[in-house]
Amino acid sequence: MPAVPQPSAFESRCNATYDALMWALSRPGLPRDLPPFDPDDLPAGLAHPAHAALIDALIDRECTVHCENPELARHAARSGAAPGTPRTADHLFLDGLATPDLLGDLRQGSDLHPEDGATLVLPARLGQGAPLRLSGPGVDGTLDVRLAGLPEGFWQTRARIMRYPMGFEVFLTDGARVLGLPRSTRVEVL
Amino acid sequence: MAYVATRGGERAIEQSQRLFRAEMGAITPERVAELRRALPYLIDRVMGEASLYDEDLAALALAQTGGELYEAILLLRAWRTTQPRLAVAAPVTQESLFTHRRISAAFKDIPGGQVLGPTLDYAHRILATEVLEGATSRPEPVEPADRPAPAQQPSVAAWQAANGLLSAPRADSTTGNDIPDVTREPLLFPAPRAHSLQSLARAETGGVLALGYAAQRGYGQAHPTVNELRLAEADLRVTHPRGTVFSAGRVKVSQAEVVSKKGSALGLGFAATLGWNEVKVIAAATLDLNAKGAPKGSATEEEFFLYHTEGVESSGFCIHFKLPHYVTFQSSLDAMRDARAGAAGAAPSKQAEPAE
Amino acid sequence: MTLQSLTKDWEPMAYGFLDGSAKREIRRKMLKAISVPGCQMPYASREVPMARGWGTGGLQVSCTLVTPRTRIKVIDQGADDSVNAASIRKFLASVSGAPVTTDTLQADLIQSRHRIPEERLREDQVLVLQVPNPEPLRSVQPNMSIARQMHADADYGRMWLQLYEQIVRSGRVMQGASYPSLVNGRHVMTPSPIPRWDVPKLHMARHLTLLSAGREKRLHAVPPFTRVEPLVFDDVPYRVEDHAGLTCHRSGARGFFMNEIPQADGTSLHEVSDSDLGVKTIRAAEGEDTRIGATWYVDGEMS
Repeated sequence: MPAVPQPSAFESRCNATYDALMWALSRPGLPRDLPPFDPDDLPAGLAHPAHAALIDALIDRECTVHCENPELARHAARSGAAPGTPRTADHLFLDGLATPDLLGDLRQGSDLHPEDGATLVLPARLGQGAPLRLSGPGVDGTLDVRLAGLPEGFWQTRARIMRYPMGFEVFLTDGARVLGLPRSTRVEVL
Repeated sequence: MAYVATRGGERAIEQSQRLFRAEMGAITPERVAELRRALPYLIDRVMGEASLYDEDLAALALAQTGGELYEAILLLRAWRTTQPRLAVAAPVTQESLFTHRRISAAFKDIPGGQVLGPTLDYAHRILATEVLEGATSRPEPVEPADRPAPAQQPSVAAWQAANGLLSAPRADSTTGNDIPDVTREPLLFPAPRAHSLQSLARAETGGVLALGYAAQRGYGQAHPTVNELRLAEADLRVTHPRGTVFSAGRVKVSQAEVVSKKGSALGLGFAATLGWNEVKVIAAATLDLNAKGAPKGSATEEEFFLYHTEGVESSGFCIHFKLPHYVTFQSSLDAMRDARAGAAGAAPSKQAEPAE
Repeated sequence: MTLQSLTKDWEPMAYGFLDGSAKREIRRKMLKAISVPGCQMPYASREVPMARGWGTGGLQVSCTLVTPRTRIKVIDQGADDSVNAASIRKFLASVSGAPVTTDTLQADLIQSRHRIPEERLREDQVLVLQVPNPEPLRSVQPNMSIARQMHADADYGRMWLQLYEQIVRSGRVMQGASYPSLVNGRHVMTPSPIPRWDVPKLHMARHLTLLSAGREKRLHAVPPFTRVEPLVFDDVPYRVEDHAGLTCHRSGARGFFMNEIPQADGTSLHEVSDSDLGVKTIRAAEGEDTRIGATWYVDGEMS
């Protein structure tokens, strides 16, 4: 057997990024730190460089991706992913959302294949804004969080259109922090 | 006192492997080369089931495992997993194959002709025991035909389709990375056609034969006629990043078309694999022929035969029963003893245990 | 675009054995599995240098998660010294450089076949369970596609009927290990062939459990703080193995799941199945400085 392989810096970053995402979904509402990255490793001029790091950890030619930011879209294309629309994409990376209407377009999978539901990545301000109460798998009882930067009616729309186990996952990024909300999490606007 | 010697397990593993390997002795480049030269049909079978075409690696895998076929194929599959996908070759059509052998049981003569090619079909199966007494068995030289058979020939099904005897399969124009790849995606049902054919191509020969034979004997609805059986070489045409199309070499392939009467037309079954393996492609094409409309859970239902002819999975699961099952066994014993205690005096229950 | 930008440097083996595309696919599927607890997610499941059925599913998850700092523990039937556990541990260490341990408390990642350690797992720990058959409905529906449709419809009637028939015939549920359990009130899953003793450890646990079947190409998950309820009738309570009163003849540990060791005189002795707990119990008895963590069972009762 060859010598023990060493992870490249890229491999280490992707692994740590995934680790943050995995725990973010496992413990909804608890922000996780994404690993630091070398600015040279990611495209310049991105408003949300963390989104590029998520692409590195998750996305390749087996994915269909919708990126709002053109520079991020080029980064995703380099992974081999096919560009998609909000209706066709399995992963969506947005710079923001003015209304919750887009949620209605997202893939939710089917009862037979819930895994076909989309993953939506959005920037938000964690720890600010309106209080929300989370419950469901991964939450020890209930958890109150504050999230700002999302459009009015976002949570109501999410609750209205998802019929578990169909649904979509949401990652909210704030700089190098990420918070996960799987479809299994109930979000109550306080 | 230590409760367990953790290193004990590792030492036992190491020594058990040494015992296995001691029996085979040194593996040399010469041994690998000789295996490759002497056993081309075994090499072909291994490459087909591994879905990896490399005669040297196949010979090495055989040498390394002492001919334990399931182990050899697993070695190759595991190696294959680690290899990057550099390019996807252009689709190969039947009429473009460089054909060595091509026979039809459906018609006495077919466009392009019957080409017997290399086969032991009509040999008398007599052991050359003189070799064990010191003689060398040398092949007689092949005498070239006056008129060589054409290298490229059309498929018999194409002729039948042109004559309205069967509906030709719809042409699939998917190319390159868009072709579903069963080694990179899970097999789900109903399966894409590409997944079905790929699964049959890498299926275990014995498994395909057992289920194909069951179908041929009458457990399938359709009795196959071998429309054509072909052993050939396929040209690998690859596009260079600069755009040049070039041949990256040739691989040996086998394919079979089988047909049977289905209402007023012919039904068509097809299979192909890497390497020359006639039994496998005829049996696999028979399964393909019978798959349409097969009852759920029958041996000719696609989900049934594709899951159960996957050699690496089936052999791995079979041998996994050697692993300790103390915990599951203990758990079953507990339920059984308790049920008996509860039923003390009454006749012991005859019901089957839930499967584990 | 240059060739250099399209490729990476040659390496004899990818870090963690699996290449980037295999890892990304497993990551994507794990995220969905965590999001729909107990629902089986199909994945490609690459061939790895181990036979199918020998932990290749757990191995692929571990290979995806591992880093040079992940402390790994591998057990089979509760024991670190089982030959298959030793083999998997050696492989994981050799493809990742990760440190290994037998101590449940020290481990970041525990790959296990058929047991959950007796010491409580923490919220920073991941348990990877090897799964031979991911489909809890197989005994009532061997066809995987039909079974999947039954999950889609939450159609668990035949599963209940089977349990009911066992009670009628034998006076109790005869399911040994792999006790079917309802996750988050929606999906029935197999907890893998862990004994009934271990299933309550998954209910509202602090750790993350990933269950992966390599041969069958399915993975499912139980996130922390998730309801895992064995299928039982209101009037026939769930019963774990009757091991609460057994004592380990080697370590003296009592009130844990045991291996039964038949003796020549027709009787049986017992030894604690969690080998590391046995080791620690002996060390503690001999006055060594040993820390035994809080256990799920105290005096043979789930606490």
